[in-house]
Amino acid sequence: MENAAVRCEGLGKQYGSTWALSDCTLEIPAGSITALVGPNGAGKTTLLHLVIGLMRPTKGSVAVLGQSPSAKAAELLPRLGFVAQDHPLYRNLTVTETLELGRRLNPGWDAAYARERVARLGLDGRRKVGKLSGGQQAQVALTLALAKRPQLLVLDEPVASLDPLARREFLNAVLEAVAEGDVTVILSSHIVSELERVCDHMVALIQSHTRLAGPIDEILASHRVLIGPRTGATGVARVHDVIRESHTERQTTLLVRANGHVYDTCWQQHEVDLEEVVLAYMGYAPGGAMPLPEPEAVA
Amino acid sequence: MTWLAWRLQRTETLVAAGILALTAALLVPTGISMSEAFHHDGLGSCLAPNPGLSCVQKIGAFQSHYQALNFVTNWFTLVPGVLGVLLAAPFILDLEHRTYRLVWTQSITRRRWVAVKLALAGFAAVGASAVLIALITWWRTPLTDIGGRLDTGTYDTTGTVAIGYALFALGLAAAIGAVWRRSAVSLTLAFVGYFAVRIVDDYWLRNQLASPLHATWRGGRLPDYLEKANILSQSITVNGRVVDRGSGTGGVLGAHAQLAAPGSDRNAVFHAVYQPASYFWTLQIRETLLFTAVGAACLVFAAVWTQRRVA
Repeated sequence: MENAAVRCEGLGKQYGSTWALSDCTLEIPAGSITALVGPNGAGKTTLLHLVIGLMRPTKGSVAVLGQSPSAKAAELLPRLGFVAQDHPLYRNLTVTETLELGRRLNPGWDAAYARERVARLGLDGRRKVGKLSGGQQAQVALTLALAKRPQLLVLDEPVASLDPLARREFLNAVLEAVAEGDVTVILSSHIVSELERVCDHMVALIQSHTRLAGPIDEILASHRVLIGPRTGATGVARVHDVIRESHTERQTTLLVRANGHVYDTCWQQHEVDLEEVVLAYMGYAPGGAMPLPEPEAVA
Repeated sequence: MTWLAWRLQRTETLVAAGILALTAALLVPTGISMSEAFHHDGLGSCLAPNPGLSCVQKIGAFQSHYQALNFVTNWFTLVPGVLGVLLAAPFILDLEHRTYRLVWTQSITRRRWVAVKLALAGFAAVGASAVLIALITWWRTPLTDIGGRLDTGTYDTTGTVAIGYALFALGLAAAIGAVWRRSAVSLTLAFVGYFAVRIVDDYWLRNQLASPLHATWRGGRLPDYLEKANILSQSITVNGRVVDRGSGTGGVLGAHAQLAAPGSDRNAVFHAVYQPASYFWTLQIRETLLFTAVGAACLVFAAVWTQRRVA
């Protein structure tokens, strides 16, 4: 078995004259649950569509489970589960008809699993999908993706339109499904706090580039907030990558990616949470906007 | 896959069936009464050449009695357009609601899905327009026995052209919808386009599909072969000078009646350019193939565009 479920090299997608995604190189390890984060318009959906084979890349290459999704669509599609943004479903079909859709369009359909899952959700099979709540529709869409018994499950903004309770239920359902089988999951979101609980890997896509990628515990371990007397960041920047700096009259706050553990004693050291790291990479500073660091600084 | 495509087209198919049922509800009772009147008046025996005066009167009375109804049924030429545009709706709705992302990420390729969906819509369009043609052809039998099949209203709704019209409307709507991905706008635009093309077709295109014949005759009776012909233009010449010219059947018959009346100028020479009644099937087949080909090209365009440009 491949050790990377998804491997992108120099991947780019151009619409007209704008690049929705450019020079994206990343690996998503098999068996991981990877969060794809980034602001709206960063290219998350484009990347996922390239992975699932809905689009062809303009530049570079993408390999999914060792195969090209656009060239080997017929072989690859049965192994992929996908829930698109806003989980599109045929609103006029009943729940039962929607499962019938899954059965008829997928050779590896697990009908018993799909029925059992819908029953567990307490959904009446005769109801039209359009009449269900947003959370229920998302669950039906997830059932459709899971009953294919995919090796790679791709979820595009699965919880964005859901209320907090439905969000929790949806993510729990994903976790359960992963626990049952050997599935790699990629899910995109701009809500980092939700994903921290569920995911073990993260890829941050900012302005169509990958800025941060790796296991979440490593990301957390390598980033620190340093607070010290007001000064420039130059001294620290010689050793560590400064992701964000902000200043008040008396003190300077830096968010750094540490290279080793040597800090000047004048800096007070704090751990960071994932959301703060992601926001820092997005260029958001609490004391005012900061320009993004040059790509070399984080490479 | 066919099950799903059919299930997603069910509403539109039922609406199409409803339109045909409404058409039948209008045509069947009036058709029966018209057919009974035709036989009751013994009009069948009046159709031989040189009918007597009583026959001419009976035929005239019959025609004027059913004139209004005949005029209404001429508008049924729009029904193939409605059917075609309607049946393109499931294809466009799939794009508009982005549900194609659901289907294309099951285990089937997008090529097969688009092909099955458009083919099914095409079959339904052909089937529905064939039913419409059968109904109207039956309904018009007494009228076509008298007046032939080349007048616009009859020609458009009998024979095979309506099948071509429905496929053309379907293809046009699918092509616009593939690019625009908004069903309401695309369907409206396609119907307007259909209507415009059909007007050009009725008034110009059809006349180009087979080279017309020329006829010249001197006063007196209208030649028999022009009775059921499609007259493209005519002129009346008196002593080498053109006194009247015009287009269309009504013009020449009217002028003819006037000039042929007792006491009128016996030197009048009539000239007509026309497509004879025997051209009916030649014209029908050529026009059907033309509209079917354009419709099919539009469907191919819609399929290719959808596969390449949509994600």
